[in-house]
Amino acid sequence: MRWIQLGEMDCRGIWGDDMEREDIRVAVVRIEGTNCERETALAFKRLEVFAEEVHLKQFYSDMIRDEDKRSLHDYHAVVFPGGFSAGDYIRAGAIFSARVRSVLRKDLKKFIGEGWPVLGICNGFQVLVELGALPAFDGISEKPEMALGINDSSRFECRPTFLKVENQKILFTRNLGKNVVMFPSAHAEGKVIFPSGREEEYIERLKENNQIVFRYVDRNGDYAGYPWNPNGSIYNIAGICNPEGNVLGLMPHPERAFHPVSHPEWTRNQQKDGDGKGFFEGIVSYLEKKV
Amino acid sequence: MELDPSVYISRNLPFELYEVDILNASDEQLAVISDEMGLALSVDEMRRIKEYFRQKGRNPTDIELQALGQAWSEHCCYKSSKYFLKKYLFGIEAPQNIFVIEEDAGVVEFDEEHAYVVALESHNHPSAIEPYGGAATGIGGILRDVVCMGAQPVALVDPLFFGHLDTPYEALPSGVKHPLYLMNGVVAGIRDYGNRVGIPTVAGMIFFDEGYTGNCLVNVGCVGIAKKNHLIRSRVGGVGDVFVLVGGKTGRDGIHGVTFASTELDEKSEEESRGAVQLGNPIVKEPLIHACLEANEKGLLTGMKDLGGGGLSCVIGEMALAGGFGAEVHLERVPLKEKEIKPWEIWVSESQERMMLSVRPENVDEVLYIFDKWDVDATVIGKVIDEKILRVFYQGYKIYEMDIEFVTSGPEYCRPYTVEKREIQTSVFDVPEPEDYEDIFRSILAHPNVASKEFAIRQYDHEVRASTVLKPLNGIAGWESHGDAAVIKPLEDSWKGLAITSDVNPAYTKIDPFWGTAVAFDEMCRNLVAVNSVPHSFADCLNFGNPEKPLRLGDFHESVRALGWMARNLGIPCVSGNVSFYNETPYSFVPPTPTLMGVGMVEDVRKVISMDLKRRGTALILINETRPEFGGSVYSSVRGFEDSNVPKSSPEHLRKSIETMLSLFSNFRILSCHDVAEGGVAVALGEMCIGGHMGCEVEIRAERADIALFSESATRWIVEVKEEDYTDVVEFLRKSGLKAGVLGFTGGKDMILRGAKTTKPLIYMNIDEVDTTWRNGLSRYMG
Amino acid sequence: MIAHVYIELKKGVADPEGENTKKALQLLGFDGVRDVRTIKVFRIELDELDEDQGKRKVEEMCEKLLANPVIHNYRIEIG
Repeated sequence: MRWIQLGEMDCRGIWGDDMEREDIRVAVVRIEGTNCERETALAFKRLEVFAEEVHLKQFYSDMIRDEDKRSLHDYHAVVFPGGFSAGDYIRAGAIFSARVRSVLRKDLKKFIGEGWPVLGICNGFQVLVELGALPAFDGISEKPEMALGINDSSRFECRPTFLKVENQKILFTRNLGKNVVMFPSAHAEGKVIFPSGREEEYIERLKENNQIVFRYVDRNGDYAGYPWNPNGSIYNIAGICNPEGNVLGLMPHPERAFHPVSHPEWTRNQQKDGDGKGFFEGIVSYLEKKV
Repeated sequence: MELDPSVYISRNLPFELYEVDILNASDEQLAVISDEMGLALSVDEMRRIKEYFRQKGRNPTDIELQALGQAWSEHCCYKSSKYFLKKYLFGIEAPQNIFVIEEDAGVVEFDEEHAYVVALESHNHPSAIEPYGGAATGIGGILRDVVCMGAQPVALVDPLFFGHLDTPYEALPSGVKHPLYLMNGVVAGIRDYGNRVGIPTVAGMIFFDEGYTGNCLVNVGCVGIAKKNHLIRSRVGGVGDVFVLVGGKTGRDGIHGVTFASTELDEKSEEESRGAVQLGNPIVKEPLIHACLEANEKGLLTGMKDLGGGGLSCVIGEMALAGGFGAEVHLERVPLKEKEIKPWEIWVSESQERMMLSVRPENVDEVLYIFDKWDVDATVIGKVIDEKILRVFYQGYKIYEMDIEFVTSGPEYCRPYTVEKREIQTSVFDVPEPEDYEDIFRSILAHPNVASKEFAIRQYDHEVRASTVLKPLNGIAGWESHGDAAVIKPLEDSWKGLAITSDVNPAYTKIDPFWGTAVAFDEMCRNLVAVNSVPHSFADCLNFGNPEKPLRLGDFHESVRALGWMARNLGIPCVSGNVSFYNETPYSFVPPTPTLMGVGMVEDVRKVISMDLKRRGTALILINETRPEFGGSVYSSVRGFEDSNVPKSSPEHLRKSIETMLSLFSNFRILSCHDVAEGGVAVALGEMCIGGHMGCEVEIRAERADIALFSESATRWIVEVKEEDYTDVVEFLRKSGLKAGVLGFTGGKDMILRGAKTTKPLIYMNIDEVDTTWRNGLSRYMG
Repeated sequence: MIAHVYIELKKGVADPEGENTKKALQLLGFDGVRDVRTIKVFRIELDELDEDQGKRKVEEMCEKLLANPVIHNYRIEIG
């Protein structure tokens, strides 16, 4: 493992040409209750990049020893993983995002502005929305511009979900190589809600900016209602990006679809790779080329 | 309550402490003291305590008596069950055993470097009073049992038992909650806790019987994985080791949980026992697990144990004694939730999310840093001493001093028991063949014990950790059906897996505890084998009524005898378990419920077999014999007859069948495999069709087609094989000494079952109708 | 000073929790349940003595954490 002391150097400065995979550093940010950090970091590690689970406190707290201290700028990509950060009390993702806002707001703004990938999966999507980092029509907003509300079924829903890739051009989707992917969903608050009365306007704006990345479809690839759309999201939206395409939030879990044997139907139809693999490869190959 | 000041003598101290005058107490007074203090100890037990203190020449303090009440409770010392467990079940030798029975969880070899850890427990009484909190803390407790061995939990299991969902409200005894309310509360509790800590709930069952109306059963199991060199015991390392209490704060919640679990519930239980129900906090537990495992992996701990039943009073003594030492504890250091809490309450509180670590003094700072990093409280509260004595101080005053061996020498009884034969005079031959098979089949599919449990399964995150290879629901997305066992791939760098199932059919044990238990074991093995895994170990959770009643203990005896007989002859070790007695109210008692959790070894998860039909035009083969065994069957319940002839099993035949099935899987391409259980061949076929969203055409040549279709005889499977293979497969099975025959072929969109007597099929149903009937069986109660 | 903060879904925002509770109540045989809405209440104890100051502080809490303006209205009661 390469060990970089905080303050020693901006370790991202070391590249000139294409970056070597092992020089790519990914942070999966955790606090109490995030619980998908392990498999999310593993998805990157399997692609031979350096990925670590970093506690939010490691970015700011005085009680952290020097060797455990980190800066956001030590990394090339940041992921907010799935889970129930701080128990999802108040609202899903609200407490995590309030803490990020109070200690990392400036750093994160700079990080995003420089074009580094920021990904929020499930609870991480909720965090990005609460942070105002999505949809971010005019940059990161002061207040949330949308909400991820309680599922229409009023229940936690753990089920396979099929997603149509509406924007295949952003770094996250470029390597998927498919129009429809299967990433499973598991959440109780995933229903995309826009301000009442302005739904059409929001959807139009998202479409104009190519911000709608994933929409729920049935297993034949057609837009469909419950249970294919597990939460009742407006316009079947499963994931959106910022206008620049380097911040993505989605409710389904690509890290749970990495291996061919993670697919719910793998005992019927074998694939060479899980759909999630291409998703993470997209991020890594973007970073390899980003100079 | 007014206490007699001549019996409870208040010590003149800055805090509340009573000396209890038992030396001058008569037997009657001893009984009153036990009752007033909520000790749940018998007069005999109280006399033993009196004798101990007579020799010491003093009276005990309230905290000392409370500690003994905890230590000698049924829940902590298994006083009514141990005799039988030792006689029949313990001590099954197997090469894979690492630590079995002796610890909070069983530890079994996974591969050269790794072990897996198994625990199964009941959380019945708290769940009956407060289903949401009770079930949630059940999950919390079972996770701690696995973590305290140094293992990372990888899967949760939840077998649940309730009264009938259509029980009229008027029929509920006073103080008893409606089964629908209990079920929804329990499922929500498991969901909110399990999902939040991020451990997938991958298997379980929900079973309905009127015997559970007043006593719902909530069993929870957990499987974990650990590097062998990270395994840690529940014992201190040596003199000078420091006790570090970590996790949640201590409060009044969960006082007397174990004594509460060791008595019958009655209508006053709710009021009196709310305090015994703990509240869980998964968001303390989640970082607690990380911090404990991190400290352990860094080699900073000498011992670790969870605080469960009996709280501090049990954990300190047991850890110290297991290491061969004693301990000294300073109670005022324990972080508290509320100020006004008495020393004895701190000592016996069962507040959740706490673990006890023993640490060499030089490592304490490092341990405290790790917990601080995770924002989890960690406090040094005592140390290990050389004598086998436990001393407790509070604000500098010694308030407790007893020999640990005395405290932990709980009684062991061989209580009187009576084995009851429930002979029923009627059988399947007293009822005529049904006129309308389709009608019967529909009722069976929609029977709550058969119908889809999807509403619960999908509320549990069964995929977090991204290692669930075979999920609890199998088949085409949108049409999934119940799988036989879930399969987890616990390690990143290995294709080896663990298959997990939980089984028991209380409809059988109710009629015949011996054969019912034997068949539960058979079903557990069947499910593990069906997914192509080798049955490797199991845990049991034995839920019974009041053991002081000879008939209940007779049921327990028969059940344990059967379990030992099956397990020993198959060489599958019982590695951990739990006994829950007193599942009884003045109105009713639970059917004997020996819940089993089986673990199977999967050599390569890519070779796992699921139960959904895969292709059109393939052959369906039934393996092993169908007999007219209808005791406890769904068919008998739907048609309204009784039969004492429950399905039976034989360890020799089961062993031969397991070996043959596993070699069948390695010699032939088996497309799908499903075990035959509730509802018989008809339901097994129906579920396979649902999962594959595909029909089949089957011909029943038996004289009585209802026997062939609906009997629940054990040790049977249905496999799907390619058409060109089926004669070879049948021959292979027959050569191995098993009965096997072709049932029919797959294809189309209808499930067609033909009999020998009529040209019109017995059952001709579109698979969408089969699917809807099965899927709506339970959800119709839920709206 | 004690502040009660009521967080309510805005008019027009679906309330699945409320709707499902309504359905459950009807299933239990309660007739005439016209509507069920979920409202979340936080009871916040403050050191602050000045009512206006306190209210402003709690308003800030709502803006920063307790409510999402896209779906929520909030109401503060001091006392």
